[in-house]
Amino acid sequence: MFENLSSIWRKGDGRKVGHGMEPAPFGSLDEILGINMRNALIAKYNPRSAIERARDKVAAKVALEAAGIACTGTIAVIDDHQKLNAFKPLRDMPDAWAIKPARGSQGDGIVLSVRREGDTWYKGSGSPLTETDVMHHIQKVVDGGFSGDTVSEDAALIEPLIIADPTLADLVPEGLPDLRVICLHDEPIMAMLRLPTNASDGKANLHQRAIGAGVDLVTGQITRALVRGEVITHHPDTGTKLIGYQVPGWDRVLELAGKCGPAIGLGYSGSDIVLDKNDGPLIIEVNAHPGIEIQNICQLGLKAQMARLGEDFK
Amino acid sequence: MYSDLITKIRRIRDRATPQVRRPFYIGLGVGLALAVLVALGLSNTETFFAMPSSFGDQATSQAIWGLKPSNLLMVLPLGAFLVVLARSFVGVKAFGLFTPMLIALAFLQIGPIMGPVVLGSSVLAGMLMTPTLLKLRMTRVGFLGTLISAIVLVLVALQGLLDTKLQVDAFPVIVCALVVERWWRQWEKDGAKEAAWQAFNTFMISVVIQFVMVSHIALMLIEWSPLLMPAFTGLAIAILGRYRGLRLSEIHRFAPIWLERRRVAKNAELPEGVEEDRRSGAPDTRRISAEPDVPEQPEGVPESIPIAMNERAPPPGGAQANSAQSEPPTVPNSEAQFAARFGTSAKLPVNKTWVIGSPEDV
Repeated sequence: MFENLSSIWRKGDGRKVGHGMEPAPFGSLDEILGINMRNALIAKYNPRSAIERARDKVAAKVALEAAGIACTGTIAVIDDHQKLNAFKPLRDMPDAWAIKPARGSQGDGIVLSVRREGDTWYKGSGSPLTETDVMHHIQKVVDGGFSGDTVSEDAALIEPLIIADPTLADLVPEGLPDLRVICLHDEPIMAMLRLPTNASDGKANLHQRAIGAGVDLVTGQITRALVRGEVITHHPDTGTKLIGYQVPGWDRVLELAGKCGPAIGLGYSGSDIVLDKNDGPLIIEVNAHPGIEIQNICQLGLKAQMARLGEDFK
Repeated sequence: MYSDLITKIRRIRDRATPQVRRPFYIGLGVGLALAVLVALGLSNTETFFAMPSSFGDQATSQAIWGLKPSNLLMVLPLGAFLVVLARSFVGVKAFGLFTPMLIALAFLQIGPIMGPVVLGSSVLAGMLMTPTLLKLRMTRVGFLGTLISAIVLVLVALQGLLDTKLQVDAFPVIVCALVVERWWRQWEKDGAKEAAWQAFNTFMISVVIQFVMVSHIALMLIEWSPLLMPAFTGLAIAILGRYRGLRLSEIHRFAPIWLERRRVAKNAELPEGVEEDRRSGAPDTRRISAEPDVPEQPEGVPESIPIAMNERAPPPGGAQANSAQSEPPTVPNSEAQFAARFGTSAKLPVNKTWVIGSPEDV
C-alpha cells in the first residue's frame, strides 16, 4: 500500500496493477479501492454542482426525468412552512407512502406506511401513525432535522410506496430489496443486491445487518451473499436459496444504471435501483459518494475493474 | 497460553506477503515514534492532580507544561498533522473532522486530569438531558443552545464541588456541546456500541494529541522560532495529504478477500493436473462466475450447511471442476469476459437465462 506514497517522490508512473487483462498477483491489496483513492476519484470526476444535485433527491429526480430515466413516483414536495400548513395528510396522502428528506443520507428520516385504517396509518412494523405524528415528522424534515450539519432547511419528498417484484419479494421476510450498481461514466463496473432481514428491521442497509449479495454483471445472477461478513447461501429468515437467483430484467437494470451518472453529471456514481412490481427497474437515488464495502460483498477490487476501463489513477 | 499466541503471530507474520508486511512495519515505526513523543509529553507534565485555583493568575497550560497561552495557537498545526495521520493513514473513525484537535486544545486549557473530567461530566449531563430535549421537538439550533446552557451549569456545579476556579472560556464549552450532539446522532444512527467506540477513539486521539503538543520537542521548536512549527507541519501535511493508498484499517477490512483468494490458490495447487498459469491468474472468483459453467456451483453446495465456502472448498468434486476450468487459456479469457458483456447485453435475456438455467445443459 505504501508504494503509492513513494511514487509521489519518484514521480514515476507508479504501479499499474491490474492494467490490461492480467489481474494482479494474489496477496496484493492493490486492486482494492481505498477511501483515500475513492475520494480522489470523486474529486476528479464529480464536479461540485453535480454532487449537490445528487445529494438533493428532488433536484436529482428532475434531472433524471429530464433524461428520460424511470424514477419512483411523487405525491408531493414540501419545501417550506407555507406548503406545510396547506398540507393535510388525511386529505392528500394515499394508504401506502414514503416520506423522505430530500437531503437525508443513509436512510435517516425515512418513514414508510404500508396500510391505512380509518384515520391511522401503519408502519411495516405495525406501529400506528396518526395525522399529528405524520405532520410532526414532515415538520422535522423541513426543519433539516435529518439533513446533516450544514443544512438548516430541507424539503420533504412524499412518494407512493413501492411494491417489490414478486420473485424478489419472496426472498425477504419484509422490506424492499434494492440494487446498487457502481458506474464509471456510463459503464457499470460492479453490482450488488441488498436484502433486508428481520435483524435489519426491513431496511436494506448493510450496517443494520441486511444481506449484501454480489451480482454477476454479465448474467445478473447472485454469486455470493454475505451478512455481517459471514458467507451465506440461503436467506436466514425465509430459508430461500440466494446463490444463483436471477435478477429479473437485468439488461434493463444495467442500461438504467449506466445512464444515471451522465444525467446528473457524475463521472463516478452508485445508483440505487428498485424493481417495482408493475414498472420494473426504477431509480430511487444516485450517490455521488458510493461506499466501498461492495468489494467485500463481490470479492472483487473496484480498482482492478476501473483499470480495465483504462483508468490510470493519477 | 502466551506461547501459543506468540507462535500463532509468528506463523501469520511468516506467511504475510511484503505488501502487507511493509505497511505493518511502517505503522509500527510511526506508533513507536508517537509513543516516545507521548512519553516525553508525560514526563514534561509537572503535576497531574493540581487544582487550577492553586496556580493563581497563571494559565493552566503555562503552570503545568510551560506552554504560554499565546503559544497555544502554535501547537494547533501539530494537532492538525496528527489528525491527518490518524484519519488518512490509520483510518480511525472519530467524531467530526478536527474535533479531536479541538478537544486536545480544550484539555490544554483545563488540565490533563481536569480536562477529561470536565468533558466527561458535560457529555454525561448532555446525554441525560437529550432524550427530554428531543421530546420537546426543538430545532437543532434550539437544541444546541440548550445544551450550551446545560454544560455551563455543569461547569458551575463542578467549580462549586471541587472548590476551584476552572479557566474555561467559551471555546471548550462549544466543543463539549458539539461532542454531545455528535454522540447522540451516532447513537441514533448506528447504535450504542458504534457510538461508544467512536467516542473512545476520539478521546484516545485527543489524549495522544494533547501530550504530543506539550512534548519537549514541540515546545523547543516553538521557543526556537514561532515560524518553525507551522511551516514544518504545513509542509508535512501537504506531502502526506496526497496519500491515496489503503488505510491501515482497510487492510483489516478487506483482508477476507485476500485470505479467501489464498485459500482458493492453495486448493488449486493440490491436484496434480493443474498448470502453473493458475498461480498468476489469481482472482478465481471472477473467472468462475463469469464462465458459462456456473451451474457447477449450486450443485456443489450441500443443502444442510448454511455457511459454506461453496464452490471452491470441496477437494473431491472440486478437483475435477478445477482441472476442467484451467483448460481454457487464462489471458484471453479474462479479456473475453469483459467483451462478452457488450455482446450479451444485445442478446435476448431469455436466451441467457436458458443457457445457465439448468445444470443439465452443460
